[in-house]
Amino acid sequence: MQAVFGSLALGGPSLAVFDPFEIFALPFMWRALVTVVILAIAAGIVGLFISFRELEFVSDGLVHAVFPGLVVGAAVGGTAALLPGAVVAAVLAAVLFTVLERRGGVSADASIAVVLTGLFSLGIVLVSRQEGYVSQLQELLFGSLLTVTDTKLAQVLAVAVVAVAVVLVTWRAQLFRAFDRDGAEAAGFRPLAADLLLGVAVALLVVAGVQALGVLMVIALLTIPLAVSRLLTRKFALLIPIAILVPLLAGAGGLWLSFEWSVGAGAQAPPGAIVVLLLVAAYAVAAVVRGARWAVRR
Amino acid sequence: MNAPPTARNAALSLEGAAFGYAGVTRVEDLTLEVPAGAAVALIGPNGSGKSTLLRGVLGLADLTAGSLRVLGETPERARRRVGTLPQADTRDISLPVSLRQVVTMGLYRSRGPLRPIGRAGRAAVADALERVGLTPFAGRRFGELSGGQQQRGILARALVSDPELLLLDEPFNGLDRENRETLLRLVRALREEGRTILVSTHDLEIAQQSCTHVLLLSSGHVPGEPGHPAAFGTLEEALTLEAVQHAFHDTTVELDQHTVTTTRETE
Repeated sequence: MQAVFGSLALGGPSLAVFDPFEIFALPFMWRALVTVVILAIAAGIVGLFISFRELEFVSDGLVHAVFPGLVVGAAVGGTAALLPGAVVAAVLAAVLFTVLERRGGVSADASIAVVLTGLFSLGIVLVSRQEGYVSQLQELLFGSLLTVTDTKLAQVLAVAVVAVAVVLVTWRAQLFRAFDRDGAEAAGFRPLAADLLLGVAVALLVVAGVQALGVLMVIALLTIPLAVSRLLTRKFALLIPIAILVPLLAGAGGLWLSFEWSVGAGAQAPPGAIVVLLLVAAYAVAAVVRGARWAVRR
Repeated sequence: MNAPPTARNAALSLEGAAFGYAGVTRVEDLTLEVPAGAAVALIGPNGSGKSTLLRGVLGLADLTAGSLRVLGETPERARRRVGTLPQADTRDISLPVSLRQVVTMGLYRSRGPLRPIGRAGRAAVADALERVGLTPFAGRRFGELSGGQQQRGILARALVSDPELLLLDEPFNGLDRENRETLLRLVRALREEGRTILVSTHDLEIAQQSCTHVLLLSSGHVPGEPGHPAAFGTLEEALTLEAVQHAFHDTTVELDQHTVTTTRETE
């Protein structure tokens, strides 16, 4: 701590540029960075199939469904029960949405929209019945990357590991099914089982990501890394590495910027929002790069 | 690739079989024995139940009546000995997967979730690609291949597990003359090595050029009402003008030694 603020004194408050190594040596920043690394890896792997299966909207539905789970978890068991509560809600919602989505068509989208807004409202009602709900609501909606405790970090890690494991173990079924549903079924795979397991993996990733980015922004973590990756490369083998690198850089950069602005310039700079802005910026850059390549080729 | 056994027992035997989904029968009253090594053209207009029958052979459509044996086993048990080429519209060709990856998918089921594809698997993929003449395109993105190449790629995916029975659902749809000829040659070659083939089409010419047998399914099936019975036999037996007119009863059919044309009557 001393060393970090030493550089603050040297450079003067408004111009301070902190040594990133020293910033991330602070325990709360270190935990935030580890959280970002875990989420980046999980998002890169699980996100591949969100992108391949075009499950962005369903994922958003899951995010909203997780919210009442978080609230109930917090009400029943305090902060430590936030994630377990969310896991239960997310897995239930994943099964529900998979079954709805399977029906297909407009009615499926409408049902998902109804269920997700219903669950979100339920979460709001539940949270507003508790004392000090404004700050609690704020944390749930926008995340709290800088207040990750060791317990929460362990929970995020456990949930992310399970999400990644589910995808890796069902990888072949997921890839075959994403490419050719009928072919996969004819070969002996069960598409519904693959869909349910993917839904559960996405739900778990949502739960892990909500801690960092909050209910309102976690969808960025689920969708932007792969969107950027698919814009930048046409090579299958590079899709996941790029999709991991993008949120990793955005996460570390966002944490660093947030620290700079909060401590150096004394401005309020919520890290979750900055991370999401950097992810969006990465997407914009990727889109420009892709557009430029396309123009050159023509 | 090992040649499949050319046993004299039937590759497919159906007795009074009916198939459908959720209790609704789509095709019924099928009694036939397909000898091993035969190539059967499943012919009939849209809605006559060609795809339902093929899915029935895989155990994916319900057997609502009668009995069915596939390679002497139940459809579910026989599935690992069956290769399929489903209709083209079920593929997501926007995915950045290579042709080699797609063909490798044909080994996923036998390898299970985690067992590596290994040297033998890679060799089988290379053989299957060679077989369909697509070796130079192995690394190409599947979605960038022509329609004919994509069909041959999916055929390679079916061949990579060395199946005894091949089910091809409308493989010739949307192919130009040249690609059609290539695929026809492949089907003939596969039949000559003793594999049994079921190919659905509404193109009678394909039946004449590549198949030994024909199964004519009629259109306008109304469950519960007596429809036109399906006709099965060798080309000479079953592909008669009368039978074809029966199957395509709302269509004008012309059949001579070389060409068959079916023209839907305009209202």
